[in-house]
Amino acid sequence: MKKLSLYFIASIIALTSCNKMIDVYPSSNLYDQAFYQNTSDVEKALTGCYNGMQKPLYNEWEVTELRSDNTLMGSPTSGSSDNREFSDLDMFMPATSHSGMYDYWLNTYYNIYNVNKVMSNLEVNYHQEDGSITYDSISIPVTLQDRKRLSSQASFIRAYHYFNLVRLFGGVFLIDKPVSPAEAKYINRSSVDEIYKLIIADLQNTIDNGATANYNAINPNDFGRANSWAAKAMMAKVYLTLNRKTDAIALLQDVISNSGYGLQATYSNVFSTNNEMNNEIMFAVRYKSGKVGLGSPFANLFAPSGSGQAIVNGDGKGYNYPAKELFRKTQGGYDTLVDKRDDFNMSIYFGKIYVKKYISNLIYENDGENDWPVIRYADVLLMLAEAQGFTPNSVALINQIKTRAGLLPLTNITTEAAFEKALSDERRWEFAFENQRWFDLVRFKTTTNSIDPIAVLKNHFSNMYSTHYAQYPQPLSLIELQNLITPEKLLLPIPQREIDINTTIIIPQNPGY
Amino acid sequence: MKKGFYTLVFLFAVLIGQAQKREITGTVTNKTTGEKLEGVNIVVDKSKSGTSTKKDGTFTISVKPSKVTLIFSSIGFATQMLQIDKNTNEVNVQMVPSISDNAEVVVIGYGTQRRGDVTGAITKFKDDKLDEAPVVRLDQALQGKIAGVQIQNLSSEAGAPPKVTVRGISSIYAGASPLVVVDGQPVPDGLAYVNMADVESVEILKDAASAAIYGSRGASGVILITTKAGKSEKAKYVFKYSIGAKQDYKRYDVFTSTEYLNNLYYEASLKAQDPSVPTPTEATIATNNERSGYVIENALFGGKGTNWQDQALRTGMFQNILLSVSGGKSDVKYYISGGYQKDQGLMRNSEYDRFNVRTRIDVNLTSKVKLVVNINPSYSRRESPSINYTTFVRYQSFLPVKHNAATLGLVGQNPQWSTLNVGDFAQPRHFNNLYYAGYMPNGSYWDPGGLSDAFNSSTNSPSSILNNTLIENKEYRLQSSADLTIKLFKGLDFKSLSTMYINKSNGLNWSNRNAEADGLVSRGVFTDNMFVDLLSEQTLTYNKVVKDHNFNVLAGFTVQTTKTKKDQVTGLDFPSDNIRTYNNASIIDKASTFGSTNTVALISYLGRVNYNYKSKYLISASFRTDGSSYFGPGNKWGTFPSVSAGWAMDKEKFMNKVKWISKLKWRASYGVSGNNRILDFGFLDLLYTSNYAFGSGTGNVNTGQSTSSTIRSNKDITWESTFQANYGMDLSILKGRLGITVDYYNSKTDKLLLQQATVAYSGVPASWNNIGSLKNTGIELQLNSINVTKRNFKWSTAANISHTQNKILELGQESFLLNEGERNELYLNKVGLPLIQFYGYKTDGIWLSQTEIDAAQANGLSSQLSNVFVPGQLKLVDINGDNVIDIKDRTVLGSPYPDFTWGVTNTITYNQFDLSFTFQGVQGGSLINGDPNYDDVKKLVRNYNTNRYISPLFPGDGKTPNYNKAAFNWLLTDYVIEDASYYALREINLGYKFPDDKIKFAKISSLRLYLSAQNLYFHTAKGYRGINPESRITSGPYGSALVGGYQRGSFPIPQTFVFGVDLNF
Repeated sequence: MKKLSLYFIASIIALTSCNKMIDVYPSSNLYDQAFYQNTSDVEKALTGCYNGMQKPLYNEWEVTELRSDNTLMGSPTSGSSDNREFSDLDMFMPATSHSGMYDYWLNTYYNIYNVNKVMSNLEVNYHQEDGSITYDSISIPVTLQDRKRLSSQASFIRAYHYFNLVRLFGGVFLIDKPVSPAEAKYINRSSVDEIYKLIIADLQNTIDNGATANYNAINPNDFGRANSWAAKAMMAKVYLTLNRKTDAIALLQDVISNSGYGLQATYSNVFSTNNEMNNEIMFAVRYKSGKVGLGSPFANLFAPSGSGQAIVNGDGKGYNYPAKELFRKTQGGYDTLVDKRDDFNMSIYFGKIYVKKYISNLIYENDGENDWPVIRYADVLLMLAEAQGFTPNSVALINQIKTRAGLLPLTNITTEAAFEKALSDERRWEFAFENQRWFDLVRFKTTTNSIDPIAVLKNHFSNMYSTHYAQYPQPLSLIELQNLITPEKLLLPIPQREIDINTTIIIPQNPGY
Repeated sequence: MKKGFYTLVFLFAVLIGQAQKREITGTVTNKTTGEKLEGVNIVVDKSKSGTSTKKDGTFTISVKPSKVTLIFSSIGFATQMLQIDKNTNEVNVQMVPSISDNAEVVVIGYGTQRRGDVTGAITKFKDDKLDEAPVVRLDQALQGKIAGVQIQNLSSEAGAPPKVTVRGISSIYAGASPLVVVDGQPVPDGLAYVNMADVESVEILKDAASAAIYGSRGASGVILITTKAGKSEKAKYVFKYSIGAKQDYKRYDVFTSTEYLNNLYYEASLKAQDPSVPTPTEATIATNNERSGYVIENALFGGKGTNWQDQALRTGMFQNILLSVSGGKSDVKYYISGGYQKDQGLMRNSEYDRFNVRTRIDVNLTSKVKLVVNINPSYSRRESPSINYTTFVRYQSFLPVKHNAATLGLVGQNPQWSTLNVGDFAQPRHFNNLYYAGYMPNGSYWDPGGLSDAFNSSTNSPSSILNNTLIENKEYRLQSSADLTIKLFKGLDFKSLSTMYINKSNGLNWSNRNAEADGLVSRGVFTDNMFVDLLSEQTLTYNKVVKDHNFNVLAGFTVQTTKTKKDQVTGLDFPSDNIRTYNNASIIDKASTFGSTNTVALISYLGRVNYNYKSKYLISASFRTDGSSYFGPGNKWGTFPSVSAGWAMDKEKFMNKVKWISKLKWRASYGVSGNNRILDFGFLDLLYTSNYAFGSGTGNVNTGQSTSSTIRSNKDITWESTFQANYGMDLSILKGRLGITVDYYNSKTDKLLLQQATVAYSGVPASWNNIGSLKNTGIELQLNSINVTKRNFKWSTAANISHTQNKILELGQESFLLNEGERNELYLNKVGLPLIQFYGYKTDGIWLSQTEIDAAQANGLSSQLSNVFVPGQLKLVDINGDNVIDIKDRTVLGSPYPDFTWGVTNTITYNQFDLSFTFQGVQGGSLINGDPNYDDVKKLVRNYNTNRYISPLFPGDGKTPNYNKAAFNWLLTDYVIEDASYYALREINLGYKFPDDKIKFAKISSLRLYLSAQNLYFHTAKGYRGINPESRITSGPYGSALVGGYQRGSFPIPQTFVFGVDLNF
């Protein structure tokens, strides 16, 4: 019996210490609620935001290049669900529940949440009323210098995401701080203007507080980070999109004169994996091979399907299939010289043209090294030409790009329309498969007098009809196809899931869906 | 029957013919009530002669003049043996009511109770032949046998767990499976591991009052498994062996490439007769891919292609061996068994092997101290196919499995494939970019004038992948416990139980070089998981009888900790496909290499009082307080009380007159139980590695951290609580020949734990939440009937039927939620309706012609939805009558919940033969058949093609759309909602037991041979177009209970035949 009472006492002691047992915290993960303590923590979270830019890119070609006149769905006779979804986007009849579009949306907003976390922990707050960003009092030990350094980069990433969203979906949901799912249900769509107000405020924060070092003076460890120059180039594109050409010109000229960025000698050098972050790349989403979890999937996504390892190890998916009209080599008679960009950007496998731009020698599947350019110096030159309009200087800017590509300079441009056509074409060749074409086309509607995106796209349907669209089983007629593209369809629908799930407020869908 | 009759006549004649007889007469009465008993069987020992008592309880029997033994037996009474000396000619016998009520013991939480004193809804299941069902898992063997317990085989893979639901859905998070307790030890995978031959009984605690003693884990019911213990007798050896095979019950009926093209040409020929549509041109009848496939199949394989389903399926072997020894001497009893089970799935590479050893030793250390030790090590290996059956179903038949000389001659024209050899797997890409031309089914010659593709895919053929990959998981498991019971003084026992459960599993997911596609390196994913669960449980029980007042009091506390450790390493590029250790990998894939550790703890205090007066008035109350580490500060503790009462009405005096009722008990209970099954740390936002490369050149990896991209935490989440009332009645009539148990319950679950879909602009698609409440009501009926009890012919029936119904009462501030599945099909969860409603568009057949569409549009019907107006496609109904077909026209299309589920088991013994068979069924409820949404399936599976629309003149049945048309994508319509009802002859078992005297010589105490079969017959509802109505997808979005009832590419139902031997010596 004595032993037994000892046993009881021991048990009771054990029991009182038990309550601690249920106070368990994670032992293999950090957690957000107790994470942000110092500069280094915020730095890590910011690194996570850079990583978060990779995910939306996985689908971005779908909502940009595929809908433009650059690319098509590769296999008209395929019945696979992926291909069917690509066709739907390509032909301007996406279901409002289109999964590729939704993934792009979700992954973009996911990273906006990450950025908002960084901003709010740095107490750098955006004010919707006046479009200002303020540095408010902060409780964790981070110096003002560090707050500026870190928030300027976060601002750039947030502006980049919203700029894409507003151009693709129109007035989206303006989320500028971390919100809980419950709070989010009370937030409805903002106007396009309000979104641009945030984008401009963010980019201004990067311009004012980001690194201003000339390219040649950049600390080598900082390559890949958004700096003041990248923000100026991006801001110029925002202004151009808003048709604020004068504001754009000032920024672009500043970049050209003072940034130290420039053109690479050859087109292929710009994208070479041996020459990453060269002076033409003002901002890129970076990928890294070697199975460190940062490899680029685009070599496998864009290589032709069924090519075995002839082109890329692990075969290709055959996505983002260039329109034949883009590969002038196959058309014949456009120029006496060959555009070096075409051969760099594309190649042919058994009559199938595919995007070669992001294919480097990869050992492992989905593990490419190639960075994805977001804004580069060539864009600065061509944006300046676009902002200035038909002037000799603008023609000279285009010619800088043209001659680098191995082509003869333009000499006989006499009308504005011819200039605009030349500018449009040049951007199309220069930035092929960099997800620029769709945004360019839509922007030309306001920045040019002669280019109508709808006409361009209808013409594209007509050019590609017999070789592509007529190949679908029981195809649409050309007229039916062309009728699918309406001004309303230049915007994507708000994903149906958002409208369905939010049972608190009514979210208006974009017209036409 | 007839034969038995003649045998009796013959015996009778023999008896009459015998000389020198004497007659014994007497009366048989019920010892308790004094009533005279009719129909008591009386047999003379060691002979076959016998008789039974008359209405007045009297009997007469002729016996030898010498000393004899008479055996008296009757249902509901203990059998008596009576020696009668040669001088006695009259005996009066008093039969003692034996069974159930007073002797039968039911296992309950933390104790046992006499059946008669039970006040909750507890079903006890006991069957000596449980292990003879040709299945490897206990839960599979229980299908259709217990009212209120629904068991659904979601997958037919070997060793795959079925879905077990006790009393409908009380929780909407996926962890809503019952708690499984093996010999007092909660074991998460108990149903998978216990060897059925070791099972003494299975008890299911269905109502909250019975389960409340398990507190935070009891909300979805509790299954208590009790294993066999030794008895004080000489060593008894049991050897059981069974062997069998399984095959598929039904397959998909698919087109070959040739049949497919023939059909297209046939339809084109019909279309050509229809003046209202353009005559199809050669170019529009079929694509170049389809024609190329047709040419290959006809030129190389004489029009007969590969049957890919044959490549996926096989005859699977089933084997089960058990050897056990049990026995004991007064103070030590033992039960030791070893078992091996092998189950091969129908699908190749689906294998399950299991070894079990169970040792149980009961020792009385002193008269006051008892020790029970249980040690149960086991090992299992499960191999799963790396590719779905559905991929085989919809694979094109023209592609050969392997290359022969002829196919090499064809594909070798492309220099890229010129190095292939005979016997290499043929891949789709080998047949691309070649020049194909040939005669088409209508005799025309097709020549595309250039290269074409036959089958554009970068993925290898499914057979090739299956042969070059391995997915295996090995589990090493030790379940052990020791408990010490000390009688402190009379009536007061102290019990200390310690259990340890260790599960270590090693997984390998291996792909050979080039397994899935060309140019891939070999890949090995090595997983190493450790799960250690320690439980310490201290309980005091006090039994006290004061005159007619019986008290039983329980108090205790328990502490349980669970430690988990998971490691995964992914290696790439090994020197050989046969070297499969990660140190040989050329590189480690960091993106899929990780580890995690965690500790979960649960602390509980519990108590219960059972009281009864003369076993007539019964009352029980219990409580439990749980503290769980699953929840955040302030939300860790929960309390779970219960009360229940019973009235054994048959024990009232006034019932003595109602002779036909032998037992009648009324029960009522109310209790609260909880559900804490939730992901670890749902109250915190965990951060994950999210690195990035900065710096010149290709950059250097910098450490980054990000929150989850899939789910957001909720600091306030806490228990889900189920409040349940249960009203039951146990009735036994006709002297126990017919037993009826009815239970009605009504429950409400509050603070539902769920992964709530959230707007993506909040940054995540889902978040943890605790909103709302759900109501469940149901009724269960269990019947046990003893139909015939002749001496050599016995027949009994057990039947159960249950109905359950759920309704959402509240969803926080929401009036409804909408959730998406994998194809964006929608599931509505709306207050006032059952939990899940399929939500989409109603259809009214298909558009029969453009004219019909034009007329509708002329009447003002319009839609912004793409491709809504296409002849031959589904005609969406404008539900709200506003002439616009849009999202406002979506409506409820059905729900997955059956009206009722039932099972009937008949057991018949005739002389040495025994036969039992179980019918089981589910009536009502719908499913979403995802197959008709897949282009390849629509194209090749005949079920979705028959009677389809061709043209206005040939509209088919007016309901089946023609897939080969631009059509709206991914809208859920009632076209894919199908009736999920079925019934099946689940199990049949025919045995023969050798007569004792025939086997005596071999010192065998019993020998039985049997044949058993599973799924001999399976009936599906009209309108169901798949092959397995039980199959459901449960992963991805279907992990949430708010989304369910979806099937796609279901796997065939296995039909199993087994022969077995059961030997005791």
